[in-house]
Amino acid sequence: MKLRWLWPAALAAVALGVLVFLVRMTQSVDADRHRARLELLRRADNLDIALNRAFTQTRASSLTDAAADRSKITAELGATLDALDKGEHSLRGLSPELDRRLDAFLDTIDSKFELGFDFEARSTLLTQRAINTIDAVPARIAEAVAALPPGAPEALRTLLSQLQSQITNYGVTPTPTNAPEIRATLDELDKLSAAQPAPLRDAVRELRTLGEQALDDKGELVSMFRDFLSRPTGAQLQAVEQAYLGWYEGQLAEVNRYRLILAAYTALLLLILAWLGLRLRRSYRELDRANAELSHANEHLEEQVETRTHDLSQALDELRASQAQLVQSEKMASLGQMVAGVAHEINTPLGYARSNAEIVRGSLADLRQLCGAQNRALDLLTDERAREDEVAQAMATAQALRESIDAEALAGDLDGLLADTDHGLLQIAELVASLKDFSRVDRSRHDLFNVNDGLDSALKIAHNQLKGRIEVIRQYGALPAIECSPSQLNQVFLNLITNAAQAIAGAGHESGRIYLHTQAEGESIAIRILDTGAGMSEDVRARIFEPFFTTKPVGQGTGLGLSIVFRIIEDHGGRIEVRSTPGKGSAFTIRLPLRQPRASAAPLEADALVA
Amino acid sequence: MSETAATRARVLFVDDEPRVLTTMRILFRSRYELFFADGGGSALELLKTQPVDVIVSDQRMPGMSGIELLRAARELNPQAMRILLTGYSDLNAIIGSINEGEIFRFVNKPWSNEDLTATIARAVSAARVTQAAARPDSTPEAGGGPTPGVLVLDDDPQVPPKIQAILGGDFRVFGARTMDDAVGHLEREPIGVVISDTRVQDNPVVALIGTLKQHRPELVSVILTERADAGSAIDLINQGQIYRFITKPIHDSQCKIAVNSALKQHQRLAQSPDLAQRYQVERAPEPAPGAVAGQALLERVKTLRSWVRRWV
Repeated sequence: MKLRWLWPAALAAVALGVLVFLVRMTQSVDADRHRARLELLRRADNLDIALNRAFTQTRASSLTDAAADRSKITAELGATLDALDKGEHSLRGLSPELDRRLDAFLDTIDSKFELGFDFEARSTLLTQRAINTIDAVPARIAEAVAALPPGAPEALRTLLSQLQSQITNYGVTPTPTNAPEIRATLDELDKLSAAQPAPLRDAVRELRTLGEQALDDKGELVSMFRDFLSRPTGAQLQAVEQAYLGWYEGQLAEVNRYRLILAAYTALLLLILAWLGLRLRRSYRELDRANAELSHANEHLEEQVETRTHDLSQALDELRASQAQLVQSEKMASLGQMVAGVAHEINTPLGYARSNAEIVRGSLADLRQLCGAQNRALDLLTDERAREDEVAQAMATAQALRESIDAEALAGDLDGLLADTDHGLLQIAELVASLKDFSRVDRSRHDLFNVNDGLDSALKIAHNQLKGRIEVIRQYGALPAIECSPSQLNQVFLNLITNAAQAIAGAGHESGRIYLHTQAEGESIAIRILDTGAGMSEDVRARIFEPFFTTKPVGQGTGLGLSIVFRIIEDHGGRIEVRSTPGKGSAFTIRLPLRQPRASAAPLEADALVA
Repeated sequence: MSETAATRARVLFVDDEPRVLTTMRILFRSRYELFFADGGGSALELLKTQPVDVIVSDQRMPGMSGIELLRAARELNPQAMRILLTGYSDLNAIIGSINEGEIFRFVNKPWSNEDLTATIARAVSAARVTQAAARPDSTPEAGGGPTPGVLVLDDDPQVPPKIQAILGGDFRVFGARTMDDAVGHLEREPIGVVISDTRVQDNPVVALIGTLKQHRPELVSVILTERADAGSAIDLINQGQIYRFITKPIHDSQCKIAVNSALKQHQRLAQSPDLAQRYQVERAPEPAPGAVAGQALLERVKTLRSWVRRWV
């Protein structure tokens, strides 16, 4: 029963587990995280661009807050990069390609930061120097112009003002072209001033020194700046983003695959559910039908119960009738057996008694003849008128008769025959008396009765079955008379004694013993009937009091004898027990109360059935 | 034979009541040589050394019943005539005594000395006459002439065909539903065995069977009935010397065995008429004055003898 429920439960659990797994797999792409990551990437890009812009602005202005601006941007960028490298929304560990690109990007940006720091350190100095140099240029140019001799070529003057404007321009926005232009102008000045007086040449030489220094300082700044800007952080960040997006696409593809599986699985589950539902519906329909039938049956139940009750009571009546009939036939069978035994027991002594009487009558005729002859002879002898020859003839006749009839022997025989006859008649009389005792027809049903007498009369009735082969040992105790139905108890005793005799015959023993033991036990008496017969198995012993249980061949017993015994003892308020050992014998013990309860009519009922 | 006749007949009494034996001793000591036994076992011991002419046994005895004794005695001492003397016997015992003991008479206790003396005297003379011929198991010579027929007398018309079916085509079975029919068949046909119910059309057949046995002693009777009772069975033994007693429903093999042995018995009796003395019957009591028709029928039976002689 438990296993029947275990299987579906396990199946349902597995199905649910698979479903949860699939759903979880479809949820593995976290859109928020994805957005956060993209946001991080975008912010890093923006910050990088802002940093570049901040550096670009440095050229234009040397304001101190520009440096503060840069360090703020650098800090933000650093934090963003940290968030990309580790933390909730990091890109680390998603795919090797992404890791590699991230590492490259981070290395580049680290070097860019270093470059930034160097730049911060050098730019102030260099910028200041460049500004000073450039600021000194107009004064030198003015000195040079003052030193111009009159008559100096106009070209020289032009070159000097050209140089001034060139250097001023350079100071504002250095371009790749204006540094060589300045050099070309300086070379031109050198060439032109060579023929000029010494003060001019000195001024030009100083101008050259100043210009060269400004160019150097500014060139160094520009190269550092270019180096900074040329770091490929933007491209690398884009590569990172592309790798991330690639990974993300992969994830999405996987999720989609799982989604497909989930859809298929869900469809399957739905099919199963539909099937189960159909089955359930069918079962419900059957249930409904059964319910309908039940309610229908319920409606007719009362009617059916009535019919059945009627049938049953009829069957019970028939059963009672047939039971009564069976009990009756058992009674007739045991009565027939008893009559057979008793008839034989009576007819045998009756036979020899009658025969003996006939013999005696015949012999009496002989004796009368002898007596007559002798009397006649005696009469003649004493009669004086008798003639001699008459006397002699009478004497001879008497003598012959005396010789043929041995009166002494005959008298002895007759004595014996009459004694036998007496014995036979006494036996018959005893038997008739015990029959009367046994049936107790002349006594009332609640009589005071000595059980020992009952056992004795049952023994007399059963004598025919016992004589010659069974020794009966009577161990009677002094018993008070008990209140009972004597004829019923006698029936019990006869039945048990007959069974005992049959058990001894059944054991194949030539002879055996039956012990009859009685004793008073306070308010009850105990009767034990033991035999040395075949005994019985435990199975048989347990069933012997059941009606219709018999171990005798078909036709030799109805199987009711002991059930009637049981009934009689029970109706008397007593108990009957049996112990038995196969091959050794059986012992029946009956306990009967001294008095019957007044109200009980049970023994009378039993009389109606059994007696 | 003459020497045997000169000696006194030997009679064995078996009873577990010694006073019965005493009575028998006084009653018969002047006529026969007597033997006594108080039970089946000692009787058989005695028979092994002392063959007797007549055995008279009680039925109810401890250890061995009278029927068991007589059956065993029939093996040991076949020519002895067997008589049961008993106070009470149920039907099974009586049927057993017929089929297994093949007894001569069934005498009830209490007995009349006169009747018992006459019965034993008849048994003794039958035993004497037939001593040589009494071989129950000897097979008769195959007699010439037609096979004797079987007459079935029964109210139920189904019975004769059933018996014909059981016996097979070698036997001629004649059916009769009234005693008149039966006698008619007996007048016309060579019948050897009569199978009859105990009553036909509510009349007992014992008188017919007995008269037949008196006037045609070689005829062998088998009773086939479902209404057996002890009294009529005893009458059928004593007055009809029925050979077998079987009960309905018919068991094929039992029926066939009974009829076969009855036919053999018939052939034996036909070949040695002396043997028939062993099966002589008591004279039936006078029929009731009213039964004139029955009387006439029995007169017809008495005339059968001459007719019979023609084919025997």
